Amino acid sequence: MNGAAGRAAVLPGALAGLAGGLVFGAAMVPLGMLPTVASLVRTDAAAVGLVVHLAVAVALGAGLGLLVAGQRSGPGETLFWGLAYGASWWFLGSLTLLPLVGGRPVDWSVAAAQAGFPSLLGHLLYGAVAGLVLALARGRGEGARPTAGVVLRGGLAGLAAVAALVVLLGPGFEPLALSIGMRGRPSGVAAAANALLGLVAGVGFALLYPRPPAAAGPTLVRGTAYGFLLWVVAALTVVPLLEGAGLTWSVSQVRDGFVTLPGYLLLGTAVALLHRTVGRLWRLLFSGPAQRGAEDEGPGARGLRAVGRGAVAGIAGGLLFTVVMVQIGFLGTVAALVGATSDLTGFAVHLAISVVIGASYGLAFRAQTYDPASGLGWGAAYGLLWWVLGAITLLPVLLGGTPQWSAAAAADAFPSLVGHLAYGAGLGLVYHALEARFSPWWLTRSQLESQRVERRREVLLTAAPAVWFVILLVALVIPVVLAAPAGA
Amino acid sequence: MATAPGAPRALELLAGAATGLLAGAAVVALEAAQGMTAGPSALPEAELGVAPLLALSVLAGAVFAAVFRHRPGGLAATVVGGLVAGFIWWVVRSLTLLPLLAGEPLTWSLAEATAAFPFLVGDLLFGGLLGLGLHAFVSLYLRLRPAAARAPEPKGRPPTRVVVLGGGFGGVAVAQGLERRLAGATGVEVTLVSDSNYLLFTPMLAEVASGSLEPRHISAPLRAACPRTVLRRAQVEGIDISARTVWLRETATDPAVPLLYDHLVLALGGVPDYRAIPGLAEHAFALKTLEDAAGLRDHLIGLLERADAETNVEERRRQLTVVVTGGGFAGAELVAELFDLVHGVLHHYPHLERGELRFVLVHSRDRILPEISDGLAAYALAKLRDKGIEFRLSRRVAALDPEEVELDDGERLSTRTLVWTAGNRPHPLLADLPFTRSRAGAVVCDATTQVADTSSVWAVGDCAAIPDPDAPGTDYPTTAQHALREGAVTAVNIAGTLQGRPARPFRYRSVGMLVVLGHQQAVAEIRGLRFSGLTAWLLWRGIYLAKLPGLERKVRVLLDWTLDLFFPRDIVVVPPARRSADLPGGRDQLERAA
Repeated sequence: MNGAAGRAAVLPGALAGLAGGLVFGAAMVPLGMLPTVASLVRTDAAAVGLVVHLAVAVALGAGLGLLVAGQRSGPGETLFWGLAYGASWWFLGSLTLLPLVGGRPVDWSVAAAQAGFPSLLGHLLYGAVAGLVLALARGRGEGARPTAGVVLRGGLAGLAAVAALVVLLGPGFEPLALSIGMRGRPSGVAAAANALLGLVAGVGFALLYPRPPAAAGPTLVRGTAYGFLLWVVAALTVVPLLEGAGLTWSVSQVRDGFVTLPGYLLLGTAVALLHRTVGRLWRLLFSGPAQRGAEDEGPGARGLRAVGRGAVAGIAGGLLFTVVMVQIGFLGTVAALVGATSDLTGFAVHLAISVVIGASYGLAFRAQTYDPASGLGWGAAYGLLWWVLGAITLLPVLLGGTPQWSAAAAADAFPSLVGHLAYGAGLGLVYHALEARFSPWWLTRSQLESQRVERRREVLLTAAPAVWFVILLVALVIPVVLAAPAGA
Repeated sequence: MATAPGAPRALELLAGAATGLLAGAAVVALEAAQGMTAGPSALPEAELGVAPLLALSVLAGAVFAAVFRHRPGGLAATVVGGLVAGFIWWVVRSLTLLPLLAGEPLTWSLAEATAAFPFLVGDLLFGGLLGLGLHAFVSLYLRLRPAAARAPEPKGRPPTRVVVLGGGFGGVAVAQGLERRLAGATGVEVTLVSDSNYLLFTPMLAEVASGSLEPRHISAPLRAACPRTVLRRAQVEGIDISARTVWLRETATDPAVPLLYDHLVLALGGVPDYRAIPGLAEHAFALKTLEDAAGLRDHLIGLLERADAETNVEERRRQLTVVVTGGGFAGAELVAELFDLVHGVLHHYPHLERGELRFVLVHSRDRILPEISDGLAAYALAKLRDKGIEFRLSRRVAALDPEEVELDDGERLSTRTLVWTAGNRPHPLLADLPFTRSRAGAVVCDATTQVADTSSVWAVGDCAAIPDPDAPGTDYPTTAQHALREGAVTAVNIAGTLQGRPARPFRYRSVGMLVVLGHQQAVAEIRGLRFSGLTAWLLWRGIYLAKLPGLERKVRVLLDWTLDLFFPRDIVVVPPARRSADLPGGRDQLERAA
């Protein structure tokens, strides 16, 4: 890009980096990481470390600004770019370059990752803050302004999401405890805290996405990633600080707090779903045809075909998952859902579930995949979502137990997670293949080829790849680092 | 192949391979520094040395470039796409392929993932660097060679044009079939020419005439049914086979415009055949279009309004008599529906009595419903007779005037309503074409629905006389279910011709026939199984609801039928718009309603 555009991208990026660096730096103080940073310039003083850290943060922020210069602006998008950026720099910087520059051997083992886990959380916060500030600094672009009505609807959606989750999980289980510290509190306090969390979550999501995208699926997945961010910010940072427990970022502390992560993921997804539903209902009832875009054909249009394709794709993904299930011997557990024990019954039940979830994928993600890569990304993200909702929440509950959300249970369910990711990836790929020849439907054949290129370009202006990356981070890195035994 | 703007495919692959080499070298160096390229946790290929590892990296880079292609301005997307690819590659290689190759059972357990975690970091770094490098290389190339960034000139060859004349069942079936068969192809353009912008679902036309369905609910917009087809709403003025041109006229006052074709499909349907019987063309009602059905209903209700105030007994009887000619499916269904309509709204008209109403079905043979079996036909006749419908079998219409109809045996029925469903003939345009025609007037085709002795003209439906191999010497009947399937086969054959495959012959055995006879009465014959009464009626409604194009229409028709259960039929008549002669282009329209 030319010089003027480059400068226009660098300055907001540097500002965003500074903001993120301040937040990360504030966290570094109690964690005692500043001397390590100061060792880059061969000293030990914490103050020097802070200065070095801020300098690096500003430089990296400028890099973020340059990277996402061509992407769509709006806090909902840059937030995820920032998260992905921050997480990537943990891998690249903290795990790789920092030891290299400091003269130490590079160590990528899980033990090193566990030791560096607080740094990962810090990087995530840095990225999130930088992303948000970048959006503010760049101006809103084409996003809608958040009005009071939007904020109100968001708050309502958040409260409704918390209520729905509490109903789903039962009052006896305290998974939505704001943090592990909430466990011992009286139920009134916990309920009030949950309501507050829901409100904050809803309003936050509404501010990020004043006008949720028309497609249901990407919104859902964004909600899941948003839930993860909420967990890092609320359960791991803000609430322990408020309770005076300090910054509980070490691996052993986070492992104890892992039990709240699925709850936050589900909360984020529920908030996104309800926010979108309320918003769409609002638009359906109160906005005229001129304000609705070409994609707003109405829920009934093309739905049947999407459901059919999704069901077929679900079978394909389900067969892939069956391979995993057979290897880990999970079919018997699935059969227990209908009270049987044989593997064949389990296979039948599993296929039936795959078809239904595949059909729902078709409805939620129709016309959202423009190349195999996006099919893979959305599908894998949907697979993770169903692992959290299905395998570790609904399955144990339906079998008469409680949701299995602890770190140890997640470790046991890790093969199932891999299977769900495989299911989702297969589902997304096959669905894309089935849909690719006919989407978008309103174009004649002669316009199709040029439009295909245009649409691919357009969809990649959104932060979809970043959302997929964050989801995979949650799926593969977090459980492995947290659940592995110490010193592995 | 692809006409997308941007760097040529080969360059992208080269950039991917080069980046793969560089990134792979960096990652392998880092892995070697940690001792990951030797020892028990190393990858099997590492034991062969550094060179195979680098070769794998080059291959991975090329594959990545092929899947995650370069997008202008999408640096972040490409980099993060690389990271995502790194994740997926880690799951596939380290957790799946590696144990498989080592002969260990696949468990995907956390312990395995823990042991393989260092490779995840390596794969993520590799992926990220791949994305960065690919984007940087290609962007640099495009900066140095800006000409490549523009879209290439379109190929000189114009697209093959397929023109389908007629937007009925046959024509729409051809268009939809071609959409499916040619989904990815960009060198073919299909144009559908129709004088209306909707596909009419004719089996339910009788219910529109009786007011139990709304007219728009049985018509599907052509643009929704065939979204990839170019739609021309126009009348066909003429067809010039030698010049491969069709002449179209948008409205009566517009000039005729030519439309060239490479393949032509004749699906113009049929028109009522009045057989030069005096008075029919001027005074009879037909039941072919929505205007016919809605107009018939308006006419009947208008007559009821007039009859309610009519003092002359003779005139009143004339207004309350309905004569339907033709005892086939259309005629039998229509007379039953009109019977239900008039009796259903009779309570609104205090001066009319049931005894004054008269419904007569005139049929030229001694048995109605010729296509179904004797038993069911006799049952249908009995049921209709029980309702109170009169029959004049083995009779024909000889003449018609506004006040009475004369049958061929001299009987005169005084009526103001005669509906002609006794015969159709193929569209008159076919008469001007240089093709052999059957006795009925349809164009003679071979078994593949291609018009005999041509290679680029096809015909389906009422226009076509396609030989029936199961009944040698006769042609397939002209019904909707035949037209649909002929259209599908024509689409397969046209696509095959364009792609060099042989044409498939059309072969179809009728699945079944269903006739509805008014309120909760029907007869049905499906693959030899016979149904009558309520069962057949439910079957009719279920099957035709399923065949109705479009989910929205299904819901609307279902709603209409449900509301009919609770609310009486509507007697509102909206006369057609009258335009004053002063308005430009306007003309007075005669109203049929009272």
